[in-house]
Amino acid sequence: MSEDTHLEALRGEVRAWLDANAPKTWREDYKAMNHAEFADAQRTWFRTLVEGGYAAPHWPAGLALGSGRSLAEQKVIYEEMARADTPRLLLSFVSTYHAASTFLECGTEEQKARYLPAILQGETWCQGFSEPNAGSDLASLKCKAERQTRDGREVYVVNGQKVWSTMAQYADKCLLLVRTSSEGVKQAGITFLLMDMKAKGVTVRPIEQIQGDEEFCEMFLDEVEIPVTDRVGAENAGWAVSQATLSSERGLTLMELTYKMRGALARIAELIRKNGLEEDRGVLRDYGQLVTRCDEACAIADQFLQNRIDGIERVGDASVVKNTYSRVLREYSLLGTRLGGIDEQYRAPIVYGDLTTGNWMADFMNSYAWTIAGGSEEVQRNILSERMLEMPREPKNWVL
Amino acid sequence: MIERAELHDAAQKAFPADQLRPDRKASWDLIAEMGWLLLPLPEDAGGLGLGRDAAAAIHFELGKVLSTAPLLTALLTVQALAAADDLPDQAGWIERLTAGELVTVNLLPADLELTDSGSIRLSGTLPCTLDADLASHTLVVTGDLAVLVPLDGEGVALAERRLWDESRRLFDVTLTNHTVAPELVVARGAKVQTLVAHLESNLQLALAADSLGGATAALDMTVEYLKTRKQFDRPLAMFQSLKHRCADLKVQVSAAEALLWKRAADENASSVDFGALKARASDVYRIVAEEAIQLHGGIGLTEEHPINLFMKRAMLNLQLGGSLDTWRELAGRQALEQYAA
Ligand SMILES: Cc1cc2nc3c(=O)[nH]c(=O)nc-3n(C[C@H](O)[C@H](O)[C@H](O)COP(=O)(O)OP(=O)(O)OC[C@H]3O[C@@H](n4cnc5c(N)ncnc54)[C@H](O)[C@@H]3O)c2cc1C
Repeated sequence: MSEDTHLEALRGEVRAWLDANAPKTWREDYKAMNHAEFADAQRTWFRTLVEGGYAAPHWPAGLALGSGRSLAEQKVIYEEMARADTPRLLLSFVSTYHAASTFLECGTEEQKARYLPAILQGETWCQGFSEPNAGSDLASLKCKAERQTRDGREVYVVNGQKVWSTMAQYADKCLLLVRTSSEGVKQAGITFLLMDMKAKGVTVRPIEQIQGDEEFCEMFLDEVEIPVTDRVGAENAGWAVSQATLSSERGLTLMELTYKMRGALARIAELIRKNGLEEDRGVLRDYGQLVTRCDEACAIADQFLQNRIDGIERVGDASVVKNTYSRVLREYSLLGTRLGGIDEQYRAPIVYGDLTTGNWMADFMNSYAWTIAGGSEEVQRNILSERMLEMPREPKNWVL
Repeated sequence: MIERAELHDAAQKAFPADQLRPDRKASWDLIAEMGWLLLPLPEDAGGLGLGRDAAAAIHFELGKVLSTAPLLTALLTVQALAAADDLPDQAGWIERLTAGELVTVNLLPADLELTDSGSIRLSGTLPCTLDADLASHTLVVTGDLAVLVPLDGEGVALAERRLWDESRRLFDVTLTNHTVAPELVVARGAKVQTLVAHLESNLQLALAADSLGGATAALDMTVEYLKTRKQFDRPLAMFQSLKHRCADLKVQVSAAEALLWKRAADENASSVDFGALKARASDVYRIVAEEAIQLHGGIGLTEEHPINLFMKRAMLNLQLGGSLDTWRELAGRQALEQYAA
């Protein structure tokens, strides 16, 4: 079978499967749900995807049903999901991307064997990196872990606070960055731990987001015990591990998101028609430019993934992808907000997840998540200018 | 199969980055010698049978040095004539064109009047005819007819329109009751539309590649300048407000370039897709050029420093082959149709 016919066959398979299995009325359904029901609906959709073999097409071969897909195959799958307008997996996103990438790149064989299958069985992860005083300057984090022997067990005892952890209120496990040493440079004293969210001493408090959703949380950790075996990488070597997690957040995830954004351009076409603007040249131009920008975002995400597969990823590549997507998403939701008129300014019941709320103003507000989360746009600019363009670093010559 | 990377390398060696606007005649000889005119021709026409991306790679590299050679026109018309089997002496034409004879073409639509009373006569003006001073003929398309017009023929007049951008030369070609020679008919009827779509796509792709090559070079030049220029006891490149602007430009150039190579390799891309690509690429070029001049300070506004040359070419590229507004609108219409179902 030629490559093209193979892909067309896959497309047919995915389409038929989605026709039979994708939730159809989820937009309306989600709006009527409370948080617990939302979490359940997400778990159900994830389980369906796992059974269908489409939950982790980006994982290496052999790890799950439908894993080990080529770049071209992944694209087909994401394009079809966009076409079928399936809900985004907000709840299992950190699990299948961030956590999985971390285990695959830095975990022991034991950790891979234990945690990867568990993800497919529905174990959900959140990410506990940021702290109130360690956001962009993540390496200055203070949440402290001390190694102790308690009741004959080797554990880290953790004390401190984390913030902005997406979906932590529903998570079973947490990718946790802690300080284990204050010697040497800030980055050198950080350790990467795997925390059980049900462990004694973990308190989670949801925070209301700009559009009224409780999407992220703060976490208070008080004498939380984490077995030493639940550490990824060596003690004090957690910074490098966290970079694997973040690179996945900045690059890998965006293939799915850009293709979904491309597919969702149909929603703007609907707006144009609904408003009878098919012959408005100004609107057509803005729409035409947006379409090209979406294509750009897809092209750069594709290229990133291909370079990763070919082993020629360069420092800063992921930042290019992230800063492209986040800006195009802003332009996209802004055009929707503009064309939607006053209707978009009325508060509407909202649905979790960018691009999928059905309310343009909510989508617009949510687009900021992408210019802030996972390392802000400005921090990416620092990486790009200093590491990719090799411009000199700013001198650290100030005193407080 | 020659890899695209090899073409980039070869072009960089032939046209080094530090020699902007290389001599027109010498460049043209070098280009013929390198065999680049054969790149897009099918193998049975004596060419190398490479895809669109091969030609784009060369245009990208020549854009970096603000090439003055008539390669854009040459590749466009040699491809058009290779696809046009109505042309009586097609093989002879291809042979002469790949050896360095030039046929040019107008890069903006012409308003022509055609009369047919046994012999076909053409009157009107062909605007934006590139490199007409070096060409023997120009390719004229009107309605369902494509013909070659000899530039020294009867009823043909050339007038150069001096440009701000001195790396390109544009002419208005005026036809006054010019009689078309039957042996110079290139295509008739439905085939003309295929020819036009092909020409249009290749033109837009070439301009997009030229734009992003130029944007890349202008950004490199700016970053280098900021690294060496000192103010306030430190290199300017150390100031975050300037670094971030360069980073933003890098993001835009990289994303547009990713789209360029993807579209160049896409067999299903329409001429509107290529036009939209050109619109975006030339706009990115414009943005980079604007920032580049600003970031160079006073020297950026002089003729002594070459950064202004990129700005002039960027602004011209925005217009050649149709404007930003035109292509954005067409792309919008196409997308509306695509989502009609
Ligand atoms: C929707 C959302 C979800 C998130 N999910 C998670 C999660 O699941 N887990 C997690 O650990 N974290 C999460 N985060 C946190 C996120 O990583 C941080 O918010 C982010 O890194 C920025 O840190 P900060 O909020 O402390 O802002 P600050 O660091 O205080 O930055 C404030 C402003 O200053 C700018 N700035 C800061 N430093 C510099 C500099 N050196 N140069 C120039 N400008 C600078 C920033 O770009 C920003 O504009 C999430 C954030 C959001 C918005």
